[in-house]
Amino acid sequence: MWQYEKKLQYPVKIANPNPTLAKVIISQLGGPDGELGASMRYLNQRYSAPCREVQAILSDIGTEELAHMEMISAILYQLTRDLSVKEIKEAGFDAYFVDHTTGIYPQAASGVPFTAAYFQSKGDPITDLHEDLAAEQKARTTYDNLLRLIDDPDVRDPIKFLREREIVHYQRFGEGLAMVQEMLDSKNFYAFNPSFDK
Amino acid sequence: MSDGKMKLLKKIQAESFAVVEANLYLDTHPTCKDGLEYFRRHKELCEKLKKEYEEKYGPLTAAASESTKKWEWVTEPFPWELDANKGGNN
Repeated sequence: MWQYEKKLQYPVKIANPNPTLAKVIISQLGGPDGELGASMRYLNQRYSAPCREVQAILSDIGTEELAHMEMISAILYQLTRDLSVKEIKEAGFDAYFVDHTTGIYPQAASGVPFTAAYFQSKGDPITDLHEDLAAEQKARTTYDNLLRLIDDPDVRDPIKFLREREIVHYQRFGEGLAMVQEMLDSKNFYAFNPSFDK
Repeated sequence: MSDGKMKLLKKIQAESFAVVEANLYLDTHPTCKDGLEYFRRHKELCEKLKKEYEEKYGPLTAAASESTKKWEWVTEPFPWELDANKGGNN
């Protein structure tokens, strides 16, 4: 089971609200390569992981992704505080505002709501770990793109932290994949599915 | 899973459920003296039982892996395994 700690993994302290930035950063909450999808991907995949090490890495990274969702939400919350209707209109934040006011809702920058179709749980650890490696790289590219769009150092700082975590997770999933391959037939990794063909 | 381990785990599950229930109640009744006392009593018991369990059978949280020889987090089964839920005569 889970226990909540009343602290962010890394501090978020944004002096100046800026709804224009919130409109793009929201993709890392509920977009195709966002933190919600990442967490759900790993926490659902872990049941068919074939060894404790991979069960542990999926549980622990899946849990850390929940903390990243919270950091992205804190960034969105601080970027959209104390807004006037004039500021909302000028930033083009009105399309989001009409449906959610300044509440936090998981959607992509395009406005598409979060969907479980963003991730897979295939029940085959080779397949799942390859998806996980790709997912971390896709999230890293998204953070790189966000850093191209953001000048405010208060916003860049936590985004840079999150970008670095994608790289560490990629490394750990690579080690998990090597561990699974070690359990398999080295002449044909696909001869059987260790999570099904016991 | 051994009977002793399962029995202790069931006690922890009961005590930590009491703590969760008191937690929710206190969120909306933060000055209730009876509630605060109930929370404290069950939290103390729960912590004592968890300490005993972790000393005997291994960590309940990754951070409680204390061995200097092996990362104990990966030596015991995860809780969705049938083996992690058997024993102790219910």
